[in-house]
Amino acid sequence: MRLLSFIAALLFALPLHAADPWPEIKWEALVPKGWDPAAEFKGLDLSKLQDSDPRAIEALDKLKQMWDNAPAEPALNGKKGRIAGFALPLERQGDKVTEFLIVPYFGACIHTPPPPANQIIHAKSTKPLTGVKMMVPVWTYGSFSVQRGETTWGVAGYRLTVDKVTPYEG
Amino acid sequence: MKAVLQLALKSAWARRLTLGIALIAIALAAALLLAVERVRHDARQGFTQSISGVDLVVGARTGGVQLMLYAVFHSGSATNNIRWDSFEAIATHPAVAWAVPLSMGDSHRGHPVVGTQANFFEHFRYANAQSLRFASGKSFAGVFEAVLGSDVAKELGYRVGDRITLTHGMAELGPDHADKPFTVVGVLAPTGTPVDRAVHVGLEAITAIHLDWAGGAPLPGLNIPAEHVQKFDLQPKEITALLVGLKNRADVFRLQRHINAYKGEPLLAVLPGVALDELWQTLAMVERTLFALSTLVVLVGLAGLTATLLASLNERRRELAILRALGASPQAIFLMLTVEGLLVTALGILAGAVLLAGGIAMLAPLAQAHFGIHLSLRPPSWNEIALLASILATGLLASLVPGWRAWRMSLADGLTPRN
Repeated sequence: MRLLSFIAALLFALPLHAADPWPEIKWEALVPKGWDPAAEFKGLDLSKLQDSDPRAIEALDKLKQMWDNAPAEPALNGKKGRIAGFALPLERQGDKVTEFLIVPYFGACIHTPPPPANQIIHAKSTKPLTGVKMMVPVWTYGSFSVQRGETTWGVAGYRLTVDKVTPYEG
Repeated sequence: MKAVLQLALKSAWARRLTLGIALIAIALAAALLLAVERVRHDARQGFTQSISGVDLVVGARTGGVQLMLYAVFHSGSATNNIRWDSFEAIATHPAVAWAVPLSMGDSHRGHPVVGTQANFFEHFRYANAQSLRFASGKSFAGVFEAVLGSDVAKELGYRVGDRITLTHGMAELGPDHADKPFTVVGVLAPTGTPVDRAVHVGLEAITAIHLDWAGGAPLPGLNIPAEHVQKFDLQPKEITALLVGLKNRADVFRLQRHINAYKGEPLLAVLPGVALDELWQTLAMVERTLFALSTLVVLVGLAGLTATLLASLNERRRELAILRALGASPQAIFLMLTVEGLLVTALGILAGAVLLAGGIAMLAPLAQAHFGIHLSLRPPSWNEIALLASILATGLLASLVPGWRAWRMSLADGLTPRN
């Protein structure tokens, strides 16, 4: 009987062990459900507007503002996982990096308008990491936390406490 | 076996002059390769360690690399200043935790003078988020007070309480601000960054020493004595650059765009990490060229070794043949030659490492003073050990050739006299 229950326990435990301890977190998951920056522009037929049209400029400004104030998804607070993205080192120790930003597309922020606030992750590691280079794609493993904005300007943002970083393949 | 090695050593000693020259060539080549690697590593280390905890460097619109160079490394000069109200607009922005203004353009005996605020010493970080420490004295409080970087104090022998005169412009022979001397109130602890080479004064001091100046020269007939400057408005009108720290580092792109699109005047904000990377990419080609050249020099040195050993085979025909006649196997002869080459390479590498250490000990102060590169005297890093090992491996390959030739030489060939 004891043995049976042991086997049963093992069987139950198996799927748990098989579950990925580092589930992949997609960039879409960082966007709260129901957040639709396009909602504001329902009445506007963008295809009919020229780039120089004041209404188009106003709409673009408004869109930029919405991106800047993009809300974070509170469900991610405390979640462990891995995310793939391009690194942008902030703090270095020789060739190693302790603090970096992760963005979803190449060149984001350096040459092109930055992505929405909820598509930028501030990653921090207690030990210096190798392989984090400017705009090189990496898998970053760690726990997410959602930061509440203290100011009217900085609304909220994602922090990632890094466990490890591996090169991105495939 | 032991006997063979002993004989090999003795034979090598008998030919010490030619082998010695091959050894010197290898030593010089190894020292050169190591030096290129060391300078590359230390310069890079120095660059990346020079600034930390700063989210944006802001200046007049120019290139990102250029802005970093003049604002952080005091190299080159600014094309334009920015207005004080732009500084205030950025410093009071809700996302900004702190902002430190920097004003450049004057010097003291070749050392750059940086006009700033006392909060510079509080917020500036270098290397691994280390803050500045005072080796002696304290931050400036009065107008005519200065804080020296450690190199300035050491080179010019200044101590707290000494009086110094600033010079207008960056040349050592510029017009002096002799009427308004400064008192040294603090000396910073060494950091290995450009801060060591700078003289720090308050922004008000920069305004004060230029009160009676116009267009880069003292106004004739106008002389405002130092004790009267307090009557004037010392609020700076312009600064050269500013360092910005954010409350939330992920806001950096938003603020960068905000500053770049600032309506008041054209400004440029760069992320120090991005600019440093750009700078490094430009330098990477030079770095690779130097590395390739020094690798070639090593190859030339080792080719010299092979040539020396091959040439020696001829004069050693008798010697080797007698050894064979006495019972040494062809393998032993092969081993003898190879070991000889390997030994010369190993000694050459050792001499090269010693040469490098001596060179660094002698030249490090010069490199620090003239190029701002801090070269450290330390045991070789793993990278350098790998380089040395590859020299040794190539040396082994180079010695195999004469070894093989000696192996193939027949006993009869060595004993039959040639006419």
